[in-house]
Amino acid sequence: MNSFFLGLSKALAIVGGIVLSVLILIVVVSIIGRETGLGAVTGDYEIVEAGMAFAIFAFLPYAQMTGAHATVDIFTNVLSTKVQAWLVAIIEVVFAIALIIIAVQLFGGFESKLRTGQTTLLLQFPVWWGYAAAFAAAVVGGVVGVWHAMVKVTEAATGKIIAVEGGEA
Amino acid sequence: MTNIEIGLWSFPALLVLIFLRVPIGLAMFIAGFAGLGLINGGFDIALARLKTETYTTFSSYSLSIVPMFLLMGHFATLGGMSTSLFKAAESWLGHRKGGVAMASIGACAGFGAICGSSLATAATMGRVALPELKRYGYAGGFSTATLAAGGTLGILIPPSVVLVIYAILAEQNIAKLFAAAIVPGLLAAVGYIIVISIYVRLFPKSAGVRPPVPMSERFRAMFDVWPVLLVFGLVVGGIYGGLFTPTEGAAVGALGTAIIAFFNGGLTLQSLLGSFTATARSTAMIFFIVLGAAFYNGFLAVSQVPQTAAAWVTEQGYSPYTVLIIILVFYLLLGCLMDSLSMILLTIPIFYPIISVLDFGMVDFVSMQHGMIRDAIASGAAEGVAQDVMDQINALMAAGQEVPRQLSGELGVRLTELRANALGVEYTAIWFGILVLIVVETGLITPPVGMILFIINAMDRQTPIVETYKAVMFFITSDLIRVALLVAFPAITLFLIT
Repeated sequence: MNSFFLGLSKALAIVGGIVLSVLILIVVVSIIGRETGLGAVTGDYEIVEAGMAFAIFAFLPYAQMTGAHATVDIFTNVLSTKVQAWLVAIIEVVFAIALIIIAVQLFGGFESKLRTGQTTLLLQFPVWWGYAAAFAAAVVGGVVGVWHAMVKVTEAATGKIIAVEGGEA
Repeated sequence: MTNIEIGLWSFPALLVLIFLRVPIGLAMFIAGFAGLGLINGGFDIALARLKTETYTTFSSYSLSIVPMFLLMGHFATLGGMSTSLFKAAESWLGHRKGGVAMASIGACAGFGAICGSSLATAATMGRVALPELKRYGYAGGFSTATLAAGGTLGILIPPSVVLVIYAILAEQNIAKLFAAAIVPGLLAAVGYIIVISIYVRLFPKSAGVRPPVPMSERFRAMFDVWPVLLVFGLVVGGIYGGLFTPTEGAAVGALGTAIIAFFNGGLTLQSLLGSFTATARSTAMIFFIVLGAAFYNGFLAVSQVPQTAAAWVTEQGYSPYTVLIIILVFYLLLGCLMDSLSMILLTIPIFYPIISVLDFGMVDFVSMQHGMIRDAIASGAAEGVAQDVMDQINALMAAGQEVPRQLSGELGVRLTELRANALGVEYTAIWFGILVLIVVETGLITPPVGMILFIINAMDRQTPIVETYKAVMFFITSDLIRVALLVAFPAITLFLIT
């Protein structure tokens, strides 16, 4: 089960990486177009912004699953393994709640952009497109967050290690 | 509780959360969320802000530079640039006393020029240089300490992810900050090389000797470094020269390093996917902190704490330098606990308003005006200006007095007090940013908990960390001397942009 969620979050992170690469290409093509007089890509700025929002939301679940978030652990290292395990479990539960709140509120943002029909300045594409893509990734974030919290609570309760953290280089 | 009290209490609450191992971004997010709830007497406003704030934070055009630079660093490693840099530096310096260690510093500086992160620079160069240092009989602790110090060059030498974040927080120009970081970054590299030459004389057994490499081989090794020079020139030159925005520079750099890695055979489908997932982890970590910080800082602004703190410090009449030194010492201590990015996001919203209202005498109106007039005359603006006007201007300048604007305007110089003061604030912001960057990085190599020390030491299991601690103190001394120099002479940092 854990490998399913790890695989899901990794696949999403790779999709985010592909989007990031496409944005890089668009930016470079735009520079070349501008400098050679062929004309910059219209609204490259807007594409980068919308694409970035999706990419970051797509990266978050994998960071969650592999424990990538920056922490200060020198003070908690003195605690017993059991206490540390429970501390991590509680933190992961809170993190999952935060990710769910973020996803739910993002849906609210999506609804209001859909209602107002706001579009971007140059390309005139609806702003809700960006919100919808980001929301899809944020849902995975919430689900993965809940799973990861469940894993950590189980680990604390049973003392067994289910998920090894840390990603590859 | 008043809003200010809520704001002030949020600091200890936040620190307790962070020290309880709550991820730093989450801790700031919770503190900001709870703080807004307390101030507003309910969570409606905090929740409403979340509807658009996550999206707008993540879709920032200026911040998109961060994942692009991270990806560029991974491609640079895949392209073997770390190895070719080390080989080139080593072929020129390796036969000197402590030469292989000096070469490691040189290679770190080179890699720092295409990589925006200290941890990545330390880890990458560690993999390349540690085995070589071992092979030539360099002591374990000396080798690890050298690479840890070299790692800090990753952030000091532009492009630098932390400087991008500082620029956004302090609303400063990224290109100017990059330019300002170049000289202090090179000074750091020179300082470390001096430390190495002193160290190997104090402890002659700590370094082996190696025969010199023939000249032909040296030039061939140098030639292999051209991709690094090309990418650095294109990215930093392009940004500084105004050819493109910092984000565009990062995109060019990422694509450039990817192409080089592809032709060197380092970029396969598997390594590409590996770069994506590694970039995903660091990017998500950074952006979650950015999100938490945006939320927490939004709350702080509502609580009026930064403005009140700035006003209070001004009222006390402390000397600006006293305030600056207290802040720098604070960073040095905090740097032993936290990574540089979290620290900057956590503290700049408080410290920067304080620093920006202090007068460090960055700009002297009269001498700035005189400088501009001299430049104008040198570029031929005096032609066609009446002789009596020029006589008056020259007389005032000779007497060291301010030239009235009607006169200087004849030469096209229209400097106002307001403009001069704005420049003073800008220079202070850039200077302060570079100083903070250095002390924060020093914190990362300060025992007992400097993060870079752990990363490097983990790569060399035979060396006890105490050995690294002992040797790294020499490098820290060089850092402190450099900070003192930069504090005493702001011009070292600023001359490239004034």
